[in-house]
Amino acid sequence: MKRKAARKAKAATAKKRGGKSKVVVAKKPRKPQAPVAAKTADAIDGLVAASAQALGLTIEPAWRGGVKFNLQLILRIGALVDEFPLPDDAEPAPVFDA
Amino acid sequence: MWNTVADIATAVASGRASAASVVEATIARIREYDPLLNSFTDITEQRALMRASALDHARAAGKPLGPLAGVPFAVKNLFDIKGLQTLAGSKINRDLPPAMRDATLVERLEDAGAILMGALNMGEYAYDFTGENIHYGASHNPHDLERMTGGSSGGSGAAVAGGLVPLALGSDTNGSIRVPASLCGLFGLKATYGRLSRARTFPFVASLDHVGPLARSARDLALAYDAMQGHDPNDPVSGERSVEPVTPLLERGDEGLRVAVAGGYFKCRTAETVSAMDRVAAALGANRDIELPRPDRARSAAFVITAAEGGALHLDRLRTRARDYDPAVRDRLMAGAMTPASFVVKAQKLRRWYRTEVLKLFDGVDAILAPATPCTAPLSGQQMFMLDGVELPVRANLGIYTQPISFIGLPVVAVPVPLEPLPIGIQIIAAPWREDVALRLAHALETKGIVGATQPAL
Repeated sequence: MKRKAARKAKAATAKKRGGKSKVVVAKKPRKPQAPVAAKTADAIDGLVAASAQALGLTIEPAWRGGVKFNLQLILRIGALVDEFPLPDDAEPAPVFDA
Repeated sequence: MWNTVADIATAVASGRASAASVVEATIARIREYDPLLNSFTDITEQRALMRASALDHARAAGKPLGPLAGVPFAVKNLFDIKGLQTLAGSKINRDLPPAMRDATLVERLEDAGAILMGALNMGEYAYDFTGENIHYGASHNPHDLERMTGGSSGGSGAAVAGGLVPLALGSDTNGSIRVPASLCGLFGLKATYGRLSRARTFPFVASLDHVGPLARSARDLALAYDAMQGHDPNDPVSGERSVEPVTPLLERGDEGLRVAVAGGYFKCRTAETVSAMDRVAAALGANRDIELPRPDRARSAAFVITAAEGGALHLDRLRTRARDYDPAVRDRLMAGAMTPASFVVKAQKLRRWYRTEVLKLFDGVDAILAPATPCTAPLSGQQMFMLDGVELPVRANLGIYTQPISFIGLPVVAVPVPLEPLPIGIQIIAAPWREDVALRLAHALETKGIVGATQPAL
């Protein structure tokens, strides 16, 4: 049912764009990959630590649980966005005027 | 002190009341009741008295007063007020230099004759649906002081519902005007994204931030909204729209307007939302359901964009001042800064798709009704509540019905249904730039006696 709705959505977008449906047809809805959230707790710990290092954030030991919980939530909810099929030519919402 | 904006402006303009007497009574009321409500973080008493005096002199000199003459108002403390630090609910912002100039909307309300009374409490950096604040204390719901105001514009809800001021400004990124309006029993307007200027307000999520008024009647919302409309070059997302006054249109009411009820995801599932929706839908002849396309995905995408933009906004402060945040907010922002970039880009693409699909619905209807919150005001500090027999976290779920609507910037008026013992809000959702439709319907419901802001016994 979810896939059906999404395909319908994709077709609607393609129709509106006109002439670009070839790209849409070529891209089939994919089965979502297991997101990071579905992997082990250790993997999230590693991701939190690596991200903190990359971003220059110091996470005190007492905060790790809270940050990890929230990152897992973002990855779980983000997976619902990630797996939603949109055509390659879908434009992001913000439009920049030069 | 339950006078409306319209009452006060009429009394001051006609000379039946002086602006000074209105301000003095307002200060007295704030001093008496704010210790219970904890809604104000600053009272701009001297400024208000000087402003009132100037208005009274102007009237004595026969000069015309604006449509909001002598109307006291207050603003969520993320709006710049000249001479004050813009706290945005935080401890960290106390170290900012005082604002050099008022926010555009404060200027526009004062240009119309209104009088700023102060700054209002809010959830830290607006990342909140409860109205609680670890640094300044929770704002308390005037209908039951043991209960939440809702947030993040919690002080705005408490100050207006508690009768301290008839008008307050709040901000709404995912529901922060509509949630406190619902829990405090007020009218709240989240206008179309880009309609009301955000210039000189402290941001949260640039893609989704809106600002707007809370008041005790639909007419009061319209009066304030009309005074605040208009393009502002100081807000990059401000729409190039001319001012389209709504107040003169209110008496048209619901005539000729087609209204449907949002089904599926938005279907009312608690006794209070069912009761409130039944009354509102019946009064507006809304006898059909309409399905929004994938609001669950819309909410997810709004969540991702909020996390990522919030995290990015605060990254420098998270590096240097992490200990000075509310721990719960800090953990959310730190995790937000780690959001995969691809999720954010996809969320913005989903946003455009969802907008295109939702706008098609407005070919067949003028407005869509949805609950504003899944429940009436929870107890302060309450962590969980029941929905459909399932226990869910309060904080994350107060915004389930508001988030998929602000995600694409649709204009919404939250109207208060005065259930006993606590009120609850219904969202009247219109097509982009059709605030007139939502405000007309809100006014019609108020005229029919279906919705209204009831005065709590403090």
